[in-house]
Amino acid sequence: MCTSAEPSELCRGHLPGDLAMWFFILAELSVFAILILAFAVTQALKPQMFSDSRQLLATSTGLAMTLSLITAGLFAALAQERIRRSRPRHGAVFLLLALLAASVYVVLKVTEYRHLLVSGLGMEHNTFFTLYWILTGFHFLHVLLGMFILGWLAERCRRGLYDAANHNGFECGVLYWHMVDLVWVVLFPLVYVLN
Amino acid sequence: MSASRLLLLCWAGLATLSLCTVALAQVGTSRWLSMVILLVAVGKAWLITDGFMELRHAPHLWRRLMLSWALVLAAVVGLTLVLFR
Repeated sequence: MCTSAEPSELCRGHLPGDLAMWFFILAELSVFAILILAFAVTQALKPQMFSDSRQLLATSTGLAMTLSLITAGLFAALAQERIRRSRPRHGAVFLLLALLAASVYVVLKVTEYRHLLVSGLGMEHNTFFTLYWILTGFHFLHVLLGMFILGWLAERCRRGLYDAANHNGFECGVLYWHMVDLVWVVLFPLVYVLN
Repeated sequence: MSASRLLLLCWAGLATLSLCTVALAQVGTSRWLSMVILLVAVGKAWLITDGFMELRHAPHLWRRLMLSWALVLAAVVGLTLVLFR
């Protein structure tokens, strides 16, 4: 763990979190990469179907989901910065703000899912929607797990269990959330925008 | 620059690039626009990796691995758009 004189200053050569967490993140990113490539290749084989089906999704909703996720990422990163300054209660507040921002994504996604189902655009409608449901559904599950982790970290912050000298576990939890963000910024143009 | 200010700048960059993605899509549909949209996605992924995940000072191997994830994906997606036309 980095212990510089200035708590918020990052040491050169320091890998945030735990090494095992980074291997886990690489494994997760590899799984998402396979799904994303499957989507891209199928799109290339059936361009008209993908183009027509994509018109049934609202790009503005995708944009709003993107903004809510990156805002949650900002608050999670700010919470980490406060923990490095031994201000766990401030960290807890920022994590709650991150959860609030993430909740906007969940509401938007559930609304979109419901709308698609009511319109008969379920997983079996066509190949686009099969891949859409698999890809975004898998990501959605990661968002829910990420929110659970952020909530758990917030509770531990409230109890004062993290500080400048002890925050390795905290960094791992926040890294998981950033991975969820990272996947989404690639998913968003592929699923909602590219034509 | 303080850590908080740097994070806010990253967030502003991400939000701006997200708006650019949607604006580019409304300009029209062409192979080049698709490539630019993919490049914007790579830029966003790099902002998250270096800014939020703080890999800008991390060991080179890990930083390159994480930065290359989005770049390789965008390159392959771009290739599928070009080769299968």
